[in-house]
Amino acid sequence: MELFAQIVVNGMLLGGLYGLMALGMGLVWGVLNIVNLAHGALIMLGGYAVYYLYTGAGIDPFAALPIAMLALFCFGFVLQKLLLNLIVRSALLNTLLITFGLDVVFTYLAQLAFSADFRTINPPYAGNNFSFVGLTIPVGRLAAFAVALLLAGLLWLFLERTRTGRAIRATAQNLTAARLYGVNPKTIYALTFGIGAALAGAAGGLYGVVGQITPYIGVTLTAKSFVIAILGGLDKPLGVIAGGIALGVAEALTALYIGPTYTDVIGFGLLVLVLVSRPAQIFERA
Amino acid sequence: MKNSKLTLLAVALAATFAAGSALADGNTITLGAAVQLTGALANTGRYYRDSYNFAIEQINAKGGVKVGGKQMKLSLKLLDNQSDVNLGVRQYVQLLTQDKVNFLLGPFSSNDALDDSSVAEKYQVPMVQGGGASGQIFARGYKYIFGTLPPAGDYYASTLEMLKELKPKAKTVALIAADDSFDVAVAKGTRKLVTAAGLQLVVDSQYSEHNSDFSSLLSLTKSKHPDAILWSGHEPEALNFIRQAKSLAVSPTLMYSFTVGVPTADFRKALGKDAEYAFGMTPWLPNAALKDEWFGDAAAFAKQYQQKFGYAPDYHAASGVADVEAYAKAIEAAGSLDPAKVRDALAKVDFNSLYGRVKFAANGQIAMPQTVIQIQDGQVVPIYSDKFLNKPRYPLPAWTKR
Amino acid sequence: MKNIVTVAALVALVAALGAVPWLGSAPIVQFGINALLVATLAQGWNIIGGYTGYASFGNSVFYGLGTYGTAIAMANYHLPFGVGLVCGAVLGVACALLFGLPILRLRGPYFAIATLGLSAVMGALVSNLDIAGRNIGLILPLFRGDELFYELALGLLVLATLTVFWVSRSRFGAGLVAIRENEDAAAVMGINTTLYKVLALALAGFFSALAGGIHAYWITFIDPSSAFDSTLNVKMVIMAVFGGPGTVFGPVIGAFLLSGISELLASNVSTVASLFYGLVIVLAVVFMPKGLVDMGGGVRRLGWKYFIQNIRQNRL
Repeated sequence: MELFAQIVVNGMLLGGLYGLMALGMGLVWGVLNIVNLAHGALIMLGGYAVYYLYTGAGIDPFAALPIAMLALFCFGFVLQKLLLNLIVRSALLNTLLITFGLDVVFTYLAQLAFSADFRTINPPYAGNNFSFVGLTIPVGRLAAFAVALLLAGLLWLFLERTRTGRAIRATAQNLTAARLYGVNPKTIYALTFGIGAALAGAAGGLYGVVGQITPYIGVTLTAKSFVIAILGGLDKPLGVIAGGIALGVAEALTALYIGPTYTDVIGFGLLVLVLVSRPAQIFERA
Repeated sequence: MKNSKLTLLAVALAATFAAGSALADGNTITLGAAVQLTGALANTGRYYRDSYNFAIEQINAKGGVKVGGKQMKLSLKLLDNQSDVNLGVRQYVQLLTQDKVNFLLGPFSSNDALDDSSVAEKYQVPMVQGGGASGQIFARGYKYIFGTLPPAGDYYASTLEMLKELKPKAKTVALIAADDSFDVAVAKGTRKLVTAAGLQLVVDSQYSEHNSDFSSLLSLTKSKHPDAILWSGHEPEALNFIRQAKSLAVSPTLMYSFTVGVPTADFRKALGKDAEYAFGMTPWLPNAALKDEWFGDAAAFAKQYQQKFGYAPDYHAASGVADVEAYAKAIEAAGSLDPAKVRDALAKVDFNSLYGRVKFAANGQIAMPQTVIQIQDGQVVPIYSDKFLNKPRYPLPAWTKR
Repeated sequence: MKNIVTVAALVALVAALGAVPWLGSAPIVQFGINALLVATLAQGWNIIGGYTGYASFGNSVFYGLGTYGTAIAMANYHLPFGVGLVCGAVLGVACALLFGLPILRLRGPYFAIATLGLSAVMGALVSNLDIAGRNIGLILPLFRGDELFYELALGLLVLATLTVFWVSRSRFGAGLVAIRENEDAAAVMGINTTLYKVLALALAGFFSALAGGIHAYWITFIDPSSAFDSTLNVKMVIMAVFGGPGTVFGPVIGAFLLSGISELLASNVSTVASLFYGLVIVLAVVFMPKGLVDMGGGVRRLGWKYFIQNIRQNRL
């Protein structure tokens, strides 16, 4: 029983981080109708940003997160304004293709700049843990989980309670109507993509603390983000976090009871099942 | 409309069929290889790039290779397979058919070696590879593949021998291995060794090589309280395993050992203090007793390598050097560059090098004992080969007491 | 008259391609086999993605099943190659029929994601099956004679292109296009959209599976990650889209051109190849989203303004 509880806790903590990874992708997909296949590359870049801030400038990774987020925000904002805005109205397939191309470019440039060596962000407290009702709770993962929840909460508040947030949601619902109300779509789109990139950056920094970073982690993380974004309902932050936690727990339980080599079967199997069984209305977009 | 399409088609075809081929110089023996210079395995791939180049340079400096009556130089044609197995296969075909290299050197990793060796066999040109240890590579009855890494199934043999002699005696073992060719071979062999040693396997688990989260496995292992954890996989996962073990407070009672990572400098650097006490194995150490015709001895080689390339060599590099030296010896013995003759000469080589004794078994794989090593104070210390060389730090203290 | 000339030209082209193994060098044959197989994949995609408008991002599942069907038959049961190919094709088509029904109910990006998920699930499942060699894969008997694979690949591409040609001229094809343009209207008009969609997917599955089977025997060694290779998905889509989706020759042209550029770069300037590939994709999507075939006509009509027009049509 204790083993079961430990596994569930493990899954939840990791799942929170997964959810954070997917937040940005879901937001961009839901609002801009852009399926960003380069999302994992943005996570990877965020990871490197925090890595260099930590090892180069000695800034604690959690303190470095806001800096990395700002950097990624600017990067995403510019990317959307200058490039992605050019293809927003073409077929969705094209957004998939162009972001795939961008992913290839980013990965290559990252490998050129950072080399293929794997990096870890290893602050002294990363390996610590404490006992709680007989379970071992790793400090690093707990902190990552907390940050993920915090950011999701902030995103939700932003979208629900601020003017800009509401403008973003309005643009997602109906671009034309939003325009009539004075929303500047170019800026809103760039802003949204920037926020998505910032969230990816934060996820990357945290990922570096609990795992390790190479230029090639992008592809797997994009795939995971896909699954969770769909499970969670795209641009609904709380849903996405919940989806991430659900996936994390499902994977952890699968690893224990079926076998560690079956986790991808469960992850993607869930994705297909959810897609196929959910009623079509939920996916209708204006 | 159709005409322009057809023209496009024809142009596309013509453009792609323009190929320049490198002509082989009359005085050069070209060795070809497609190695992981970029991509997920590039971290280890570079050992092969540098060791191949270094060995060729050194052999040429000492006069080259004597073929019949003529002195010839060695040269290397190296391609980057970008850690993509499919691309590697195509590159080996290109090396043989377009670049017309004389002989082949291998890539890193058993999966790549397994795939690429089929090309060697198909075109009947020998390949000597130092990056794949899985017995599968040599189990197909191929005649043109040779390997300088000892069989994966035996990796843990010396470790289990050592465990018999240590007190307190280990009774239970957890075996955790990845699911790719090398690690499956390790697991298969290790299971037999564990049973033969009278130990009980309390965890026997396989994890996916694409997955880097060990939480469930670690929690399961913790609940079984093994005395020893024997682990097999790739370096990045070994790193993850140790870090996650620490964060989940999972520690075997007596010791743990890894098939990769321990001999490598940046593994130890990445883990820092957490790397302490970890056991590993290596078929090679930079020992001055290993004499070499071209480098003097292994210690001198290691020093020069570090100076030249900026990082310390490990057994991957030494294995790469052995591959090139094997060709030098075999070509001289065969007195010709004919692939079939050199192949037969390779099957018969038997010489001492900085890597150790190079001699291939009937199936093409080298046989070499693994020396058990341990990380002590950030250094790799040889502990046991068939007797104790140094004192091991045993048993393993719990994480909180380190 | 024009038709006969075109047909004769095409036949001559195919014959010329067929003679390549004896006229060209071995690396050309290698490149040729790869280009022909990926062109077949692009054509298969063309049927479901180009004509029917259901952009699949998971056709690699059929390729992978074809690979494994052939490999299991040959490596485990020592059956001849022909039987292996049939096994592979059966697996591929069966998957299309079985999973096509539920998945084809989804629209747009959800269909794309579902196919991607399906391919990933299948790859992960196969890597757990003992009969498939788990994650290590299978080793097929060695066969020396690349000419056979080349001719087979060429034959498969010709068959696929003829099929697409038939689709473009038939009522079935017209139905597919109707589904692409407005599925609800098509249904109202009496087209059995489910049947048509599933058939289109099955055709794509058939060709993809055979391509996988040929590749398996040629390479001699397969494992889950190379059989269910996810990069193939994007490659075949890019090639079909680059060349011109919903046309008969577009995917073939796109496939050959992109393969050629990639190969040229890969052999000469190894790592820069992938960077270039990525940039080509980005630029192509921005400037010529309707593909090469459309660009041919567009540039003729409008000159450079064609590219500006594309941007104006698609930007925010």
